Amino acid sequence: MSKAMVELDFFRTEKDLSSSKSFDRRRSFRDLQSVISKMKPELLKSVIESGSSSSTPKQDPTPFAPLPIYSPTNSKSVSSSSSDAAARSQTAPLTIFYNGTVSIFDVPKEKAENILKLAVENSREDSSKAPVSSCERRRFINHIARDLPMARSLSLQRFLEKRKERLIGAMPYGSPKHTRFRTGRIRGYY
Amino acid sequence: MEERNVRANVSMPDVVLECLMPYIHDPRDRASISLVCRRWYEIDAMTRKRVTIAMCYSTTPQRLSRRFRNLESLKLKGKPRAAMFNLIPHDWGGYATPWVNEIAESFDCLKAVHFRRMIVNDSDIERLAQSRGHQLESLRLDKCCGFSSDGLLHIGRSCRRLKTFFIEESVLLYENDGEWLHELATNNTALETLNFYQTDIATVRFEDLELIARNCRSLVSLKISDSEFLGLVNFFRTASMLEEFGGGSFNEEPERYTVVSFPPKLCRLALPYVGKNEISIVYPVASSLKKLDLLYSLLDSEDHCLLIQKCPNLEVLECRNVIGDGGLEVLARCCRRLRRLRIERGADDQGMGEEEGLVSQRGLMALAQGCLELEYMAVYVSDITNLSLEYIGTYLKNLCDFRLVLLDKEAIIRDLPLDNGVRALLRGCQKLIRFALYLRSGGLSDIGLKYVGQYSENVRWMLLGCAGQTDEGLLEFSRGCPSLQKLEMRACNFSERALVTSVMRLRSLRYLWVQGYEASPTGNDLLAMARPFWNIELIPPRQIVGANSDRQVIVSEQPAHILAYRSLAGPRTDFPATVRPLHPQ
Repeated sequence: MSKAMVELDFFRTEKDLSSSKSFDRRRSFRDLQSVISKMKPELLKSVIESGSSSSTPKQDPTPFAPLPIYSPTNSKSVSSSSSDAAARSQTAPLTIFYNGTVSIFDVPKEKAENILKLAVENSREDSSKAPVSSCERRRFINHIARDLPMARSLSLQRFLEKRKERLIGAMPYGSPKHTRFRTGRIRGYY
Repeated sequence: MEERNVRANVSMPDVVLECLMPYIHDPRDRASISLVCRRWYEIDAMTRKRVTIAMCYSTTPQRLSRRFRNLESLKLKGKPRAAMFNLIPHDWGGYATPWVNEIAESFDCLKAVHFRRMIVNDSDIERLAQSRGHQLESLRLDKCCGFSSDGLLHIGRSCRRLKTFFIEESVLLYENDGEWLHELATNNTALETLNFYQTDIATVRFEDLELIARNCRSLVSLKISDSEFLGLVNFFRTASMLEEFGGGSFNEEPERYTVVSFPPKLCRLALPYVGKNEISIVYPVASSLKKLDLLYSLLDSEDHCLLIQKCPNLEVLECRNVIGDGGLEVLARCCRRLRRLRIERGADDQGMGEEEGLVSQRGLMALAQGCLELEYMAVYVSDITNLSLEYIGTYLKNLCDFRLVLLDKEAIIRDLPLDNGVRALLRGCQKLIRFALYLRSGGLSDIGLKYVGQYSENVRWMLLGCAGQTDEGLLEFSRGCPSLQKLEMRACNFSERALVTSVMRLRSLRYLWVQGYEASPTGNDLLAMARPFWNIELIPPRQIVGANSDRQVIVSEQPAHILAYRSLAGPRTDFPATVRPLHPQ
């Protein structure tokens, strides 16, 4: 079994249009931290449920069945020898974001399942008492507004895209120094 | 006539006032004068030469022409400032058409027109050129959209006295050909400033530029789009009066650029896509440079240091944060005459060679102590402390415009909140008129926001991002800011009721823009600020489908905006589906 870092990516937010594919984990931690720290458990559950309809889990979700979404990101599937695999087969890292803190535990699979079951059961108990009102939900969603991604000016956005194109265009020909760049004619966001 | 001279302290005769009035230029002085009595209002109206309308929907073209018949210069702004950051729907409004029509009909003395962030059609340009082309000396379509290269043909054909033609950062609908430039080159001998910098205009014949250089002996400033720099060698030889150049791009082998020689008077330069191998072409003129724009350059931190060292006369510098703290330290040592500094945000992603480029309190403190003449400072920082803001307040006594944005690169900023630093800055910089502070959660507490209100007596424009914690902060803030005319807030998360209460308290406020607040489903709480001459518009939350830099389709949520402004024109009638006016009914 490969040592996969599992992160519970609740919101699947890719807000910054200009950010690249490379996953800036630190930023994602902070984003998630700040939003999660304001959440009520029942709210959290309702968002997870609403988000699950759009999720496309990349792997078989059965090891962590109670929670509908997870996406193993940045999973470093270490190609390990069988002996290593045997030694590491028992535990995998479990990352938990709670109340503004992040904790990582190396736990065996069964324990992880138990922990998650416990968390879901607890939230389920509260939610049974009071259904989440749409007003509360809206307030929650507006808390996301506080973490609005910083907007970049159009002129700079255009420049950064053009620059990327120039560099990408240069690579196939070897040494970038002596390559003819094409001046990217990117239409702006209009 | 005698009656008016009877008492010793009577107002002076009209004739005297009519002679004095043309010497009074400041619009605020003019505004005060026009309030004294009807006669003074009329004299001001007859003699007012320039008007800037900061929000084009605050009045109507007819009201303007009724009052200021003899205008020579008109500047209009349309879309909210947030449009420059792609936050406003493209069809939001700000149409130039009604204004152009009125200009054609009524403004017989008009010589200068400046539209900023407006929608200008080809037919507008045609109407303007045909009706006023013979008298037009300056036309600026500044960050506008809606026209094409066909519209620009009319400029060359009909505006032969044009000294300034400026379309920087405008987005053309399409570009058929370069004929417009050829028309301009063939017909015009008066050009002093020609600017199509940061546009996508691709068809530029170097012969036309050389023709302009030959015909327009007063040409002082040329800024173009991305044409190859080597094509400009002849132009530089011909345009001997040139003081400012911007644009071009460097696509050939670096050795080939040794032939480039700038005109002798060149002192303002903007070079996009220039890299470390080509930057040496600047060295012969570096010591004369007063203005340098490296926003779109490909230089790294060290390159910036090497270049800046050679520019002791620099007064204006624009660059990205790749300049780094090291670059700012060099700036502080070498460029004592610096008046304006703008440090923009570089690329976030790795691999663009900008990992070194971080600006923090270290650079700011050096700058504060070294560049005492600074009047304008806009900086994107990766780290910040209270002490560095105190330094700014202590040393930069000439600061009129200060803008600080804290990037979210660093997960932890140790010295938050910035309450005390901000207070020290505001208390120290007494000349501050414009102020922007864009932080993060915890960056400015409610007390800090209260300080901002208390100590910004002269500030007229403010942008606050993630400021304060609760409604209390905003309410305390709004007890101050006596001069605040324009307020923009983003991601501050105040409730509608707090927003409304604050608006009612800020007595100078004539323009409000908010995005990221506790929006109610209907927005009806906002109606509590409904009053005469105050337009309230809502841009409800939208889903924007766009693409990221890897061409993946992304759907992003854009939270609601509130836009409210004083207006004599009543609610506007040209709003698109994405805008919802709010009025009590």
